[in-house]
Amino acid sequence: MTFNKRSLITLGVLAIVTFAVYYFFSRRGITYIWHWERIPEMLFYYGGKSAEDAVPRVRMGILMIGFVLTLKISIASIFFAIIIGTIVGIARLSHEPVTRALSLGYVELIRNTPLLVQIYIIYFFVGSMLRLSAFAAGTAALSIFAGAYVGEIVRAGIQSIHKGQMEASRSLGMSYAEAMRHIILPQAFKRIIPPLAGQFISLVKDSSLVSVIALADLMFQGQQAVARTYHAFEIYFTIAFLYLVMTFTLSMATQYIERRLAISD
Amino acid sequence: MIKARNVHKTFKTPDRKEVKALVDFSTDIKKGEVVVIIGPSGSGKSTFLRCLNRLDEIDSGEIFIDGVNIYDKKVNINEIREEIGMVFQLFNLFPHKTVLENVTLAQMVVRKKNKEEALEVSRGLLHKVGILEKENVYPAQLSGGQQQRVAIARVLAMHPKIMMFDEATSALDPEMIGEVLDVMKTLAKEGRTMVVVTHEMGFAREVSDRVVFMDEGQIVEEGTAEHFFTNPVHERTKLFLSQIL
Repeated sequence: MTFNKRSLITLGVLAIVTFAVYYFFSRRGITYIWHWERIPEMLFYYGGKSAEDAVPRVRMGILMIGFVLTLKISIASIFFAIIIGTIVGIARLSHEPVTRALSLGYVELIRNTPLLVQIYIIYFFVGSMLRLSAFAAGTAALSIFAGAYVGEIVRAGIQSIHKGQMEASRSLGMSYAEAMRHIILPQAFKRIIPPLAGQFISLVKDSSLVSVIALADLMFQGQQAVARTYHAFEIYFTIAFLYLVMTFTLSMATQYIERRLAISD
Repeated sequence: MIKARNVHKTFKTPDRKEVKALVDFSTDIKKGEVVVIIGPSGSGKSTFLRCLNRLDEIDSGEIFIDGVNIYDKKVNINEIREEIGMVFQLFNLFPHKTVLENVTLAQMVVRKKNKEEALEVSRGLLHKVGILEKENVYPAQLSGGQQQRVAIARVLAMHPKIMMFDEATSALDPEMIGEVLDVMKTLAKEGRTMVVVTHEMGFAREVSDRVVFMDEGQIVEEGTAEHFFTNPVHERTKLFLSQIL
């Protein structure tokens, strides 16, 4: 990467556009008094929590509590989505027509209905029958949703592996399952890391929808904070930044894994 | 050791045409025999190999290996395949595993050997095919000839009763064919049962017990390599030999 004349022109254009946008909005003259100083206490604060727990110490603020819950539900959903997706991806390639039809039906059903509707159905209908907590229902909905997409990614990954790999494995006496486990899936997963990363980043962001079932995630806590303080701009910017922290970390992590696995290329 | 009786196999091409790969095909291969199968492309030679370990399934007929009908429903095909090693035209090494892991894996997964035992066998075989110094290298870093030698070691590690070579040197650059053929010749001289699909007539002449010429899914002519070089009988055989020699 070297800077040249073209980089300078690009930077110049960028500066002009930025200034134009700023000028346009500053002339509209919304009178909003920013209260960024109220944000840090929503992340961490020092003090007592309530009358019963009044010992002063460093505690998590409302947004940080939401952040942790979003983190938990995202990690749990990614974990289950990988399991569901692997099973579905293999089932989609089965020689047995019922298995194939079932897995295709699942993928089409889930991909072609809105996630928000699925969350309501799983929480209010399935959840109340099985007495699921909001967290369990939210995790289930997100896992089932992402699992359908991961399934298609896994199927594409398996199909991208040369058929000679399966033939070589089987001709050495390995069963189909052994060949999948030792030979096909490791190669397929290496190849599908980029689309999987995209899917999981989507999942982290989609997890904000579980706030509708009163699950106190980052989005839900943010809305509560807005309702209480009316600092809507600052809080939503902060929420966006906190989501960015999660997704960007995920992005970096997958790029690291990708580089590590590239040694056999 | 191998007995094929009245085997029929038909393929459907993508445009739904039927191609007859094996037509009423019968043959016997004895223990310790080295059989070279030659023939024009599409003559069914590779199909015959692939039907011997059921990578392809026959439509009708019977194939016995050591007296076991391998198309019998009660047969566990994985156990049959352990005894029949196959070397492929495109090597098919496992690209995410090192050379040593490629040779070791099936011993541990299929033969349930412990790691030390499998490593010892693997190193011995890599030494035999002359590539031990590359044991920690990934296949992508090897030449075609080296990859094929690793593939042969990987098959040998299973101690198969029969070894099949499906055009094992066809994808190699000319200067690498020799190193692979040398390994194959060594194996042939050890008295192994080998079924070799190849166009390398030098190999056939030097180590084969029998040469089989196939065309359109059937055996046209068979005999010793000497017979093929001196007085082939059929016109098709003569034509084919004049093209490849």
